Amino acid sequence: MSVIVILILISLTVALLFLAGFIWAVKSGQFEDTCTPAMRVLTDDAPVKEPNLDPKHTKT
Amino acid sequence: MRGTVDNSIAEAPDRILASEGIAAGLSSTDAAGAGRCFHCGEPCRGHEFTRADKVFCCRGCQAVHDILSASGLDQFYRLASAPGVRVRNESGSNTWAYLDDPAVQKRLLDFTDGKLSLVTLKVPGIHCIACVWLLENLFRLHPGIGTSQVNFPRREVAVSFAPAKIAFSEVAALLTSIGYEPQFTLAELDKLRPGSTNRRLWLQVGVAGFAFGNIMLLSIPVYLGLDSFSAPLFKALFGYASLALAVPVLCYCASDYWHAARLAVRQRMLTLDVPIALGLAALYVQSAVEIVSGRGAGYLDSLAGLVFFLLCGRIFQQKTFARIAFDRDYRCFFPLSVLRKRADEERSVALSELRSGDRIVLRNGELIPADSELIHGSALIDYSFVTGESEPVARAKGDRLYAGGKQLGEMIEVEMVKDVSQGYLASLWDHAAFGKQSRRDLETVTNRYSRRFTGAVMAIALSAGVFWCLSGQAARGLKAFTSVLIVACPCALALAAPFALGTTQRWLARRGIFLKNTLVLERLANVDTIVFDKTGTLTSGGASRVNLHPFDSGLSDADKSRFAALARHSTHPHSARIQEVLAGNDQFQFSGFNEVPGGGVEANLDGRSFRLGSANWLRRRGLAVPEIPGANGSASYAAIDSKVRAGFVLHTALRPRTEHLLGELSPKYDLALLSGDNEKEREKFRRLFGSDARLRFNQSPFEKLAFVEKLQGDGRTVMMVGDGLNDAGALKQSDVGVAVVEQVGTFSPASDIILPARDVPRLARLLELARRSVRVVRVSFGISAVYNLAGITIAAGGMLSPVVCAVLMPLSSISVVLFACGSSSRAVKKTGLNPLPD
Amino acid sequence: MSSAGLARGSALAESRRTPASVETFKYDNHVVRAFAFATAIWGLVGTSVGLLAACQLFWPGLNLDTPFTTFGRIRPLHTNAVIFAFVGNGMFCGIYYSLQRLCKARMFSDALSWLNFWGWQAIIVSAAITLPLGFTTSKEYAELEWPVDIAIAVVWVAFTVNLLGTILRRREKHMYVAIWFYIATAITVAMLHIFNSLEIPASLFKSYSAYAGVQDALVQWWYGHNAVAFFLTTPYLGLMYYYLPKAANRPVFSYRLSIIHFWGLIFIYIWAGPHHLLYTALPDWAQSLGMVFSVMLVAPSWGGMLNGLLTLRGAWDKVRQEPMLKFMVVAVTAYGMATLEGPTLAVKSVNALSHYTDWTIAHVHTGALGWNGFLTFSLLYWLFPRLYNTKLWSTKLANYHFWIALLGMMFYVVPLYTSGVTAGLMWKEFTPDGFLRYPNFLETTIRLIPMYELRAIGGTLYVTGIMLMLVNLYKTAKAGRFIGDQQAQAPALNAAATKESPRLGHRWLEGVPVTFTILSGVAVLIGGLIEIVPMFLIKENVPSIASVKPYTPLELLGRDLYIREGCVGCHSQMVRPFRSETERYGEYSKAGEFVYDHPFLWGSKRTGPDLHREGGKYPDAWHFNHLENPRSTSPGSIMPNYAWLLARKLDTGVAGDRMRALRKVGVPYKDDDVANAQKSIQEQSKKIVANLAVGSITNAPADREVIAIIAFLQRLGTDIKALTAPATNAVRTAQLP
Repeated sequence: MSVIVILILISLTVALLFLAGFIWAVKSGQFEDTCTPAMRVLTDDAPVKEPNLDPKHTKT
Repeated sequence: MRGTVDNSIAEAPDRILASEGIAAGLSSTDAAGAGRCFHCGEPCRGHEFTRADKVFCCRGCQAVHDILSASGLDQFYRLASAPGVRVRNESGSNTWAYLDDPAVQKRLLDFTDGKLSLVTLKVPGIHCIACVWLLENLFRLHPGIGTSQVNFPRREVAVSFAPAKIAFSEVAALLTSIGYEPQFTLAELDKLRPGSTNRRLWLQVGVAGFAFGNIMLLSIPVYLGLDSFSAPLFKALFGYASLALAVPVLCYCASDYWHAARLAVRQRMLTLDVPIALGLAALYVQSAVEIVSGRGAGYLDSLAGLVFFLLCGRIFQQKTFARIAFDRDYRCFFPLSVLRKRADEERSVALSELRSGDRIVLRNGELIPADSELIHGSALIDYSFVTGESEPVARAKGDRLYAGGKQLGEMIEVEMVKDVSQGYLASLWDHAAFGKQSRRDLETVTNRYSRRFTGAVMAIALSAGVFWCLSGQAARGLKAFTSVLIVACPCALALAAPFALGTTQRWLARRGIFLKNTLVLERLANVDTIVFDKTGTLTSGGASRVNLHPFDSGLSDADKSRFAALARHSTHPHSARIQEVLAGNDQFQFSGFNEVPGGGVEANLDGRSFRLGSANWLRRRGLAVPEIPGANGSASYAAIDSKVRAGFVLHTALRPRTEHLLGELSPKYDLALLSGDNEKEREKFRRLFGSDARLRFNQSPFEKLAFVEKLQGDGRTVMMVGDGLNDAGALKQSDVGVAVVEQVGTFSPASDIILPARDVPRLARLLELARRSVRVVRVSFGISAVYNLAGITIAAGGMLSPVVCAVLMPLSSISVVLFACGSSSRAVKKTGLNPLPD
Repeated sequence: MSSAGLARGSALAESRRTPASVETFKYDNHVVRAFAFATAIWGLVGTSVGLLAACQLFWPGLNLDTPFTTFGRIRPLHTNAVIFAFVGNGMFCGIYYSLQRLCKARMFSDALSWLNFWGWQAIIVSAAITLPLGFTTSKEYAELEWPVDIAIAVVWVAFTVNLLGTILRRREKHMYVAIWFYIATAITVAMLHIFNSLEIPASLFKSYSAYAGVQDALVQWWYGHNAVAFFLTTPYLGLMYYYLPKAANRPVFSYRLSIIHFWGLIFIYIWAGPHHLLYTALPDWAQSLGMVFSVMLVAPSWGGMLNGLLTLRGAWDKVRQEPMLKFMVVAVTAYGMATLEGPTLAVKSVNALSHYTDWTIAHVHTGALGWNGFLTFSLLYWLFPRLYNTKLWSTKLANYHFWIALLGMMFYVVPLYTSGVTAGLMWKEFTPDGFLRYPNFLETTIRLIPMYELRAIGGTLYVTGIMLMLVNLYKTAKAGRFIGDQQAQAPALNAAATKESPRLGHRWLEGVPVTFTILSGVAVLIGGLIEIVPMFLIKENVPSIASVKPYTPLELLGRDLYIREGCVGCHSQMVRPFRSETERYGEYSKAGEFVYDHPFLWGSKRTGPDLHREGGKYPDAWHFNHLENPRSTSPGSIMPNYAWLLARKLDTGVAGDRMRALRKVGVPYKDDDVANAQKSIQEQSKKIVANLAVGSITNAPADREVIAIIAFLQRLGTDIKALTAPATNAVRTAQLP
């Protein structure tokens, strides 16, 4: 059973890494706006007419 | 459609976006289809503006469409149907000039290093996915613009640009040219932006949640008494790991509670933070002792959980509405710049640059920024904003004009006699009401309750400790002492109010009723006196209507539409209403057009002269103006040649169901009416308010404030319901200030509640709801008290075990939270204030 | 718009030159397409192999009497193909498409992209070769042998670097929630794979797990649980959050909820692995509390499910029209069902019934067929038209696929639930006078056969659906024009421009201590791991039961054959402490008995009876006949014939290397044990041949593989037969079910 200690410590290590990630995210204002990003993904492949792009190509 | 967006977007954007989503499904032809503008969706007159199969309502829309398609951005029209914003005022070249003034930039730009600047612009026009996409593709419209990021809830776009390639003013002009005019107000210049959401709190929750989860993992063997874990190695390892994990929880996550508790003790008042802090301390000490001495595993999981839940409660309570500002002062109502005239060169300068003695030019509909003297042109000033008086007044050369008035009609030139900050209006904000930070916020239900609670807990803890010590079991006595503090730690208690009131606040917000914070609900429940403003609150411009009184022959339909056309040329506030009754929108080529401010408009059409204006003015023109029977509102008259053909009477109508509302309120509350208007309608309101209500007319903003102050002096809890600047003082002074707005997001004076006009008749229900929610809080206290008693009896016996603690703590908290949320929502439904169907 | 307008448009667009700060780049669709095709094709392969395996459960002859197509060997092939080939490729496909667009950047390195693609395919092919050949570690979902394990590590690192590199080079400040899910996947899977695959090579295609017995089991199922969490769940949640809103053309119901969903999942799931294991040793009174913890796990999962479904509210008309949305809805629902069922199965009382039965199989297939399968189909149907810049060839066909697949899933899952419960109950049922009602395991097996046949129908339908999809996708590809490098423009993400305004600047300071604490914590933990790992491994390998001895060389070789043939796929070696099991199999298994088992062979499914107490139950001759043709000894058995074991010569040469390898992980073989290996093999073989002769099997050659297997089977569980009662109690504490 003692191997559980190892497993837990490994898990804890990873969890701590993610905690660091969380802190970074909050500090860098990642979660300031929890509305626009959801809208943004809908248009991230909205084509801008370039010579090599077919204008008929739409996402709707 | 735009209306809906404005009302509810702040709270539930996704709901709106959903409908946008459907729109996005439509093909562009649907938009162009029924004579509606392909760009902005507004109905088109004729087909003068077209591109291929697309029609436009105006040159502006067509121009925008051309710019976009030229830059390959016409995907814009596929993301939503007719997503554009109509370009209303073509901004002149020098409109934004003042933005290039270094002083202004210094205050507006978020960042600049000369090569690159970043500015966050408020753009009310943003309303759908297509807008977001377009504004984030600005760089395609001008080489000087780099990233641009939209914050939809705030209706802001953060633009980074290279000043070398494009001036700030040009950025603003570019946005305006595509229909997204940025909005600057004086307040913005003084950095009165709504603060960003509390990141620190989120961090604390995150860390606490993390610690909670992992400590629990390490505690599972203890809960379950796994023999395989009795190996001392494990105990020690897990124990110390938990201790380590608990440190940040105690020092970082819970720091606010330590602080608050210290403060409370210093102020000699037992807020709820005191027992919480005590409990946390007890938890950690007890656990540390057990772990180090190897006697047990401690209660660190409960500690982390406790803090986690408490912080969650805070987050729930600290709901802020990005687009709603509750603390607007007069500066928010003033434009950022005006046209200053110096040696006949006109330049738009920032308001803050203006000094008394400067000469400024005001166009139709512009606010007078400071008390000034009329130098040139004839003014028709609408003071409703300042005094509540709905009738615009004519002013002649040399007259004194007061700040906050709005010029109607021709362009005038004035000389400022005071600085912006010392005007008639501004002085209102020097009043104490705006300075003092009231202590009443500490008088919450929770705190009142916690005083008794804390006392009781301390007593029990001590007596339990003492009891065991006397009976010769010092160790057990100590344990009893600490564990009572642990169990009694009023997590549930602290969560009741935030969740109960927070839930109500959210529900109301989804209806468009915004509360400054949850405390407002508690104060609302104690209100005993309600003071109403008249104009714009009980009566509304929207509801006012014009009656047509024909004289002898009356008006032929042809003439009606002629007068309608004439009225269209008038700037008088009533002219719009007159157009409505005349109902006609044909174009006519008038000649000799002339508007006399405060008088009327006159013009000639195929040999006949048409006049539309006030009785006095027509009489001065030598016409006989007959009386209109029973006209107490102000009247205008239509005359052809020398004959008055019709009269128009404006009735300022009450909002629907106002009688009913006052009927509901008068038995329970003392009512009062304050109006800036004259006494014309005293009788009418006497009937409505009943005999004992106080009615005051011709009230200046200061008198209103003083009136409320006096009521409070008599020990009343006052709710002031008003709109506009003239009520600002009273709203601020009152215990609960309710600002009535026609449309959420539009300017409203400082207040505690922002109430959409349509819900004014439901004021009684709002008060009822407040009382219900406060009752919910009280009941929740009862529930948590029961848990505490159960726990305390166990603890006082000195036989608290980690498992009991681990189960009891979340159980009490969660059940209280569920109850609070559940019954508050039910209360909302009962009072019928649940969100309107979209 | 009109062509004239178009012309004017592009002309004007030319006239304005793109600004300096704006960068033009191309999205790499090539690699996306490659992964997309791989997904579709491997999907067909993986499920077909599964179908073949399923059919053998009622038609053993279907293995064509060749070892390479026999259930024991193709079952791991099926699981690996579906998990790593189908879902794996699907995951890469979805990530490579969405990540580039979410980051407004091309993948960090094309080289790494292609290394990822070809490397991954190579690994799958090698799996498809080695597994039928019998090269396996027998650890579920980690069967591949050490060289492939290393390859996997390399390719995964390539993927991780590519992922993180792209994120670092992104031109969009905000990291959409999907990206977080991708990161979690990359990092955690790497950790899981490495720690579970610690093994000592004995030869190119043979290795022994570094952990023994109980420990090996713990590590394996910690891996197993988290592999499900982080390979089959988190990446697909990321995909859901990207493709569901796209397909429905609506923003996700609540973006804030999706963020909470992620962090909740991360902070709870991470430790759900070991926590999950702890259940196995719970005293009964703890069940309720165990449930509480499980519920905590359900919360974030269901948050995610509801978030997904609510995104579609008001769009159900769309769902009716668009097959990809239908697939998406079922997928998300299946996710909800599976995440509710999982914790339920973890509750001991339920587990007692469900474990070792088809219930588990049904559970994982709800996830695999429903959640992963349907979401992948939805993804492919959405992606192909966009990659090829055209419409889907036939929406109708896609709809047929949907209904067929759904029907197939029902036909698969429902019979298996029935079969699971039936088996569980039959195994446990006693007569009033206290005897097992079904003492003969075969009675159960035969009862389940109709269910297996129904399941095969379900499987057939599902495979048919995939074929329809392949046609549809191929036609779509033919019809359209593939855009390999999709041009895009975005301004560079200027660090200065995006940095927070000074108002918030000071906040950074107070964060430093916390961040520092965390990083140092990580350092300490890693250090601690390096310190204690070996210590524990050695410590635990000290036998706790005196009478337990290492395997003899012949038994060891037999055991390796047992592993090669994948017997563990149908036979458990773990008698749980239930009366129903002790009655049927004998004394329940003790942790101390497994200290020399590298790897452990507890198994997870009892298609056949448990074998831990097999030793001495039957004469050698019985085993000989049974292996040659199971039906000769057990009429109605569904076990395939292992005739080749009788034919093939046993390779005794490897014995020495293997014993030396095992010594490295703590099995106390002495030098002369290794030296005398051959001798001892011959002696033990002779004995067995003699026993066979007694069983009237004359002329049995002593040098065949069957001899070794018999030796191993007869050794199983015999060590503690002589054990005295107190000793039993001594090890009771360490017991596991």
